[in-house]
Amino acid sequence: MGILLFITILLIAACGLIYELIAGTIASYLIGDSVFQFSTVIGTYLFAMGVGSALSRYLNRGLIQRFIWIELMLGVIGGFSSAILMFAFAFTQGFQLVLYAMVVVMGVLVGLEIPLLMRIVKDRYSFRDVVAHVLTFDYLGALGASLLFPIILVPRLGLVRSALFFGLVNAGVALWSTYLFALQLVRKMQLRVACLLVVGALGFGIANAKKITATAEDNIYADEIIFARDTHYQHIVLTRFKDDLRLFLNSHLQFSSRDEYRYHESLIHPGLASIPAPRSVLVLGGGDGLAVREILKYPQVEKITLVDLDPEMTRLFSTQPMLTELNKRSLLSPRLKVVNADAFPWVDSNTDSFDFIVVDFPDPTNYALGKLYTTAFYRAVARHLSSQGYLVVQSTSPMFARDSFWCIAETLREANLQTFPYHVYVPSFGEWGFVLAGTHEYALPRFLPVGLRFLDTKVVQTLFQFPPDMAQVPMPANQLNNQVLVRTYENDWKDISH
Amino acid sequence: MRINRRRFLSAGSAALIGLSLKSGERISGSFVNESFAAGHLLRDRQPFPAPKKTVKVPVVIIGGGISGLSAAWRFHKRGFQDYLILEMNDKAGGNARWGENEVTAYPWAAHYVPVPGSGSTYVRELFMDLGILKDGIWNDRYLVFAPQERLFLYGRWQDGIEPAVGLKQKDREQFQKLEDLFERFRASGEFTIPLELGLSQKFVQLDQISFSDWLSSQGFDSRPLRWYMNYACRDDYGALTTETSAWAGIHYFASREAEEKGPLTWPEGNGWITRRLLELVGDKVLTGQMVHKVVPTRHGVTVVAGETQYESEFAIFSAPTFVAPYIVDGFPALRTFAYSPWLTANLTLERLPGEIEPSWDTVFMDSPTLGYVDATHQSLRTHIDRTVWTFYWALADGTPAQNRNLLLQTDWNYWRQAILHDLERVHKDIRQCVSRIDIMRMGHAMVRPTVGAILSEERVRLKQRTNRLVFANSDLSGISIFEEAQFHGVQSAQAVLARLSGSPF
Repeated sequence: MGILLFITILLIAACGLIYELIAGTIASYLIGDSVFQFSTVIGTYLFAMGVGSALSRYLNRGLIQRFIWIELMLGVIGGFSSAILMFAFAFTQGFQLVLYAMVVVMGVLVGLEIPLLMRIVKDRYSFRDVVAHVLTFDYLGALGASLLFPIILVPRLGLVRSALFFGLVNAGVALWSTYLFALQLVRKMQLRVACLLVVGALGFGIANAKKITATAEDNIYADEIIFARDTHYQHIVLTRFKDDLRLFLNSHLQFSSRDEYRYHESLIHPGLASIPAPRSVLVLGGGDGLAVREILKYPQVEKITLVDLDPEMTRLFSTQPMLTELNKRSLLSPRLKVVNADAFPWVDSNTDSFDFIVVDFPDPTNYALGKLYTTAFYRAVARHLSSQGYLVVQSTSPMFARDSFWCIAETLREANLQTFPYHVYVPSFGEWGFVLAGTHEYALPRFLPVGLRFLDTKVVQTLFQFPPDMAQVPMPANQLNNQVLVRTYENDWKDISH
Repeated sequence: MRINRRRFLSAGSAALIGLSLKSGERISGSFVNESFAAGHLLRDRQPFPAPKKTVKVPVVIIGGGISGLSAAWRFHKRGFQDYLILEMNDKAGGNARWGENEVTAYPWAAHYVPVPGSGSTYVRELFMDLGILKDGIWNDRYLVFAPQERLFLYGRWQDGIEPAVGLKQKDREQFQKLEDLFERFRASGEFTIPLELGLSQKFVQLDQISFSDWLSSQGFDSRPLRWYMNYACRDDYGALTTETSAWAGIHYFASREAEEKGPLTWPEGNGWITRRLLELVGDKVLTGQMVHKVVPTRHGVTVVAGETQYESEFAIFSAPTFVAPYIVDGFPALRTFAYSPWLTANLTLERLPGEIEPSWDTVFMDSPTLGYVDATHQSLRTHIDRTVWTFYWALADGTPAQNRNLLLQTDWNYWRQAILHDLERVHKDIRQCVSRIDIMRMGHAMVRPTVGAILSEERVRLKQRTNRLVFANSDLSGISIFEEAQFHGVQSAQAVLARLSGSPF
């Protein structure tokens, strides 16, 4: 029996350490600041183990029975700890509360294990041997677990399945103990049934681990996901809550159907309505067709060219009924030509000229996107402007990313364009900014298309006024060889998220 | 917050799915651009067949690297057409050669030119001709894009190659002190590009000791500093600081202004410049023409390549100088021309490894290699999934002879494993990313500025352009950089033109 008993100790020690590592890892992943997370999780866990050890003195009768129940509880709580923590993060506000509560409960249970086992076996060995053997195998188990965790478990199984797997080990130890200590146990069958139930639950969890991860992911987006696809270029997610449709590209919100008209009317009309007789328009980005919808309100416009990288995106917005309703089937207009191409090389090689150019790219979150906000790019775009033409650039938030907004404006100026920055309030985005630019002075439009929901000629005037907290700040221009905007943007958003 | 969470979850599910499909690597490739077989015919003084035909041409340029093409560029600009370029390889370019596959063009050797200072008048003239410099403004398509250089050290990344993390107070003080010393050398006006403008005997004692000894004599013992100096010498000269003249080591740092915007680079590296030059003078280039005999006389130069004998009035020797004793009649053995063996590999990647955004130039501290350059870095595209990395390895440890032997005796698989091993220390999944590794072995990749080389009499003598055989290669300067090769090429062309037109030189 001796060696079997000590293997049991080794296994439960491994389980105990794994749960602690999982809690620390998930906390670091989800909240960041890994030093703090690991430090506090380990500290709390060890303290709770101390509490468990202290409490062990109050358990007097039926030690083996109690040990088995503790193993089962640990199996369930520890086994599902990954899943519970992820769901807590996805669905609740109180992730940290759940985290430390679980760490305390698991710590107390783990803290009970060794003292109980030592007492269970105390009559078979001398005190000296009990302490030596139990602690030896306890530490050995810890070593094994600490090596297994980063090398095999996390990369091969992932966190959800690793936890479930070790839950199974705990449950296995419980079941095993009903045989190991069969002679000292009463109501063995009841215990064994409980063990099998726990094993079944954990097995079910393992079989559905992928679904668990996916469900947790779903709830990064606040609402029901009605469409999700990984295209060659990006992760497209569409969510809906009641009448509110939201598009996320690589988890960045692109629009909410409730207020996108504010964004798209402001993107298009201040510029396009000020051009006497616009005939051709270029849209760079904007595969959702919402900007095109606004442009189609100008009957004089004969030709619209939409350049979007992702064919999946333009296909989705030309075919999905809910989306074509939103963009008024704009992508199916005979006046529109869709080109699926990378914008910068396309702009470089194409020679057409346009009266109005809409530059509507995702925010400059990385160096690749940052290229589309450089002097080199704006110079290339400006070559396509007709003599009366303007271009408009979606320029992130002048409120939350004030430096970035004015950096974009400065970059356009550096590309020898006159700039006319403006901003608008879009509830789902907050204050949002645009820069209109051209080679000549800008005059406010005297007429706007009929049927706009947000803009009229009076409102347009107000967009160009910046209150002091969004007023211009001196910024350098964004160049291909410095990409100051990417760092600026990162800092801007870091400042508000902390 | 949101990004972290998503990244974490998607990475988690990727780990669940991706690793189960992990399969054995399938990486193809071979040695490419081999030229030593031909070269060894010369070395071993094998007999060549007698020439079958004779061509009369006023000027022959031997070698179609940057120096030869630059001589031709000067001829072209002066309207002089009566010359030919004889190139041994099947493609011109020398150390500015390039390759191309379905993913991108990529360099086989030099991959950038620093923004030239005001002294580099010929480089500036060329760059204006090529549209790189216009109205005093550098074309921003050709200035290296951000992010530029990064160094992997102590298990993390830093921007820039000069070690900046993990420095102790002592290291910082030494870096500062060395920078101050370099600034003084810079201000002396002796360390210029091209070398010839400032070179004098003033710092001759620096050419008499190794860079390593000089650094020690000045009290520089900081480990990161010494690593960085070694890296610089391996990168520019293919040699360790112990094998490099202190004069040359200092030149690397004291010859250029600290520039913010450069360097200039292209997907195919300096191959881009070769391409542009070939557009102008390509019709004068004969490839696959190995010159095996050059006979200079008082009246002209006979050049034999393959089965053709060229009778010329002048010849410009733009091939590496170490070849001269083997092919030029009566040419003495060289004493101060050492060369560094190199290996360049181009790796085709089907996807990018890891999480970090790619940089232009990536270096690993304490690696024997020089790291790699990303050929698609200068692409204007926002979405890049496949790329080519050019991996540089100056075989600087051990003697050049030992390393040449190693290059000759090992097979492609040996180097494939060595390269992947090096990359794998940082990019764990590199074997799953790479589909092809082409490797170019170069026994004499570049001249090495050993102790005493820069100011050697031999160099002074070869730089005189008074014979009918005019030497023109960066070898003459003792350091192998684009600017020197171009300078000597242009100078030699001007000297030849002057003498052809009868001026007394």
